Amino acid sequence: MNKVLSNKKAIALFVGPAFILYTVLVMVPVLWSLYYSLYSGSPGLKWEFAGLKNYLNLFTDKNFLKALGVNFKYISVVVVGQVGFGLLMALMFKFWLRRCKTVVRTLVFFPVVLPTVAVGQLFAKIYEIQPNYGLLNSFLSKIGLQNLVQPWLGQEKTALWALCIMDIWVAMGFYSVIFYGALLDIPDDVLEAARVDGASGFQLFRRILLPLLWPMVITSTVFSFSGTVKMFESALALTKGGPGAATKSLSMYMYDNAFTYYKVGYASVIAIVIFLICVVGSAVINRFDVKDY
Amino acid sequence: MKRRIVAGLLAALMVTGLMAGCGNGASDAGSAADAGTQADAGTQADAGTQTEAPAEKEEAPAPEAGTETADASAAGDFTGADPQLEKHIKILTIWAEDNDNGILLNKMCEMYQAEVNPNFTWEYEMVAADNLQQKIATLAASNDLPDMFAYEAGTPLMTLVEADKIVNLSQELEKIDAMKYLNEGAVNLMKGLAGTSDLYDLPLGLNAEGFWYNKALFEQAGCEVPKTWDDFEAVLEKLDAAGIQPLSTGGADKWLATRLINAYAVRTCGNDIMTKAANGEVPYTDAGLVAAADKLQEWSQKGYFGEGVTTVDANTAGSMLMSGKAAIFYNGSWFTQNLADESQNPAGKDGIGFFNIPVADESVSSATSYSMNCGNILALDKGKYDDGTAWFLKYFCENMGDLAMNELSSVKGYTYSVQAEDMDPYTLMVLDAINESTEGFGWWEAKMSSEVSKTAQENVQPLLNGDMTGQEYMQSIQDVFDNQ
Repeated sequence: MNKVLSNKKAIALFVGPAFILYTVLVMVPVLWSLYYSLYSGSPGLKWEFAGLKNYLNLFTDKNFLKALGVNFKYISVVVVGQVGFGLLMALMFKFWLRRCKTVVRTLVFFPVVLPTVAVGQLFAKIYEIQPNYGLLNSFLSKIGLQNLVQPWLGQEKTALWALCIMDIWVAMGFYSVIFYGALLDIPDDVLEAARVDGASGFQLFRRILLPLLWPMVITSTVFSFSGTVKMFESALALTKGGPGAATKSLSMYMYDNAFTYYKVGYASVIAIVIFLICVVGSAVINRFDVKDY
Repeated sequence: MKRRIVAGLLAALMVTGLMAGCGNGASDAGSAADAGTQADAGTQADAGTQTEAPAEKEEAPAPEAGTETADASAAGDFTGADPQLEKHIKILTIWAEDNDNGILLNKMCEMYQAEVNPNFTWEYEMVAADNLQQKIATLAASNDLPDMFAYEAGTPLMTLVEADKIVNLSQELEKIDAMKYLNEGAVNLMKGLAGTSDLYDLPLGLNAEGFWYNKALFEQAGCEVPKTWDDFEAVLEKLDAAGIQPLSTGGADKWLATRLINAYAVRTCGNDIMTKAANGEVPYTDAGLVAAADKLQEWSQKGYFGEGVTTVDANTAGSMLMSGKAAIFYNGSWFTQNLADESQNPAGKDGIGFFNIPVADESVSSATSYSMNCGNILALDKGKYDDGTAWFLKYFCENMGDLAMNELSSVKGYTYSVQAEDMDPYTLMVLDAINESTEGFGWWEAKMSSEVSKTAQENVQPLLNGDMTGQEYMQSIQDVFDNQ
């Protein structure tokens, strides 16, 4: 095997087809976007060279800055929520749930396979206030918290958080399964030894489990980050980016520019910003991937 | 270093995947999220058609023996019999085949194929109303517009006119002698919306807008149909005092809420106020327009729309009126489709009434002027337009009026010679309004570019919620207008 892998021709043969495919399908469109970003209008409709004007416009575009803010808030809450609750769920499966473990695991994982639009409709009903109270408002009303009954999706101060909760609920099952798999790989005798040495529950988690799970935490965070940077379909399904632009992400703003305002050039600039956020974000997350935890 | 490269490549993959996936994601998500809601502003007339349908191809029967074709199509002569040219057209719309204009378009093609030209075939494709502009923009950019497609009248259409993508119908309809089949009012309305002297689109509706009210709730609160704006305000107060929700509107769909601003602005500033604003003669921050935005906010703050108005979609708002949960609902005459459907309308055939936007000052805007629109329109791709299309177009214009009356009991902006049998009272009510109309004015976004229009609609939600004042709302529109 070593002989094969030291043969450069063999490596080229293995890597070549995938690399070519990747270049054609991935790198070419990215470079194409770079080229588009230097133009204004839409190809075929007022398509004119604009130089760096699109890039300069970014800094004064209030809508762009607002969408960027929405993205950052959403990413920071949802990534922590998805990975954090996923980890908690996995710990619950491993150490707390004795019976019905499989059923609970299936139930927790179930939202992952639901179509986003269906989940959006489901949560729209849960948060509903007119013409009838949805599940949440009915519950609050029933337990005497009428003052907390409100249009969760209809006001700026709650809409984004309502969306975050939905997206955490959807994906935490996925991460819980990943973490549970990793937990099963940790030998019982290690945990046993720690217990014998007198480690408390929290110490066990902090000193034994977390270091052993750390590579998985990093991987999950990268997954979750890449999933949340593109924030689009769930917001569209639940709030359509509203009220106002309270839940409008960069991707949605890019989409508006490209397909509603006929500004494909400017939309390409926004796409490049999303690309840069991905690159920088992934790099930052990977910085935490220290070998000696 | 290696890790960075891998991270970079992975990120690139994600972004590209995102860009590639945007179109599909949006159409899927959008279509389902909006299922059952009306279409976008200005296009809602013909809604209820939000899910994408696969293209469907109608096969023509085998050409009949002895079919006369090409040689009969002396170019430019459209006076004789149809030369039965071989023609395949693609139609892109926002209506399902069994819904509203979808029924008419397919029926029209069937009739043309069966009665006139057996060599004619067609392909019918549907997109979600919310995605229509995006789809057309993409197809226009790739020079692949369908032969005939639904679009939005006014400013959106002008983008295609300016790019020389669509047929000048004034010229072509004159050439095929079919202009006489179009309702003059509809033609003037569409020319006015586009701001052109020529016609570039075919009407698919002729609608009046106004307030629909629940008669039982009016009776319960002792209200009468208001004639003036002051009466109207008094009615709202009276309903509110009687514990009845005075108004419902589709704040989630936004355009219904902006229509209310339009209603007040037109009645207090004149029928041409929005045209003036769009032309830059009057700023959007004009005191009259700010007052209109303030009026909407005032109603919202008084609780006239009930709780969470920005979460209520058009369909819900309509059913609240019909089921007696709200007393008044602003909408267009296309709403008769819901009213005439017994399963949707518990108020019955006589439970809902209609009145025009009450007048503030008769000298500013008259009581017989209505907010009119022609719904979504049809445009024809210039590149694919040929004699075959022209013959079909002639047949289309000649027969659309009667077909619409017979099939849907509705007026589509074409002359008609038949009166539909058993026309329901709601349709009659609308026809009365259209006949009474002496002047029409457009809707809030009709003259706005897509970016200004989007801003006006998006920000109406913070306006309703009180997160933005009327002045700030109008300023946000003016800012986008100035930056164009």
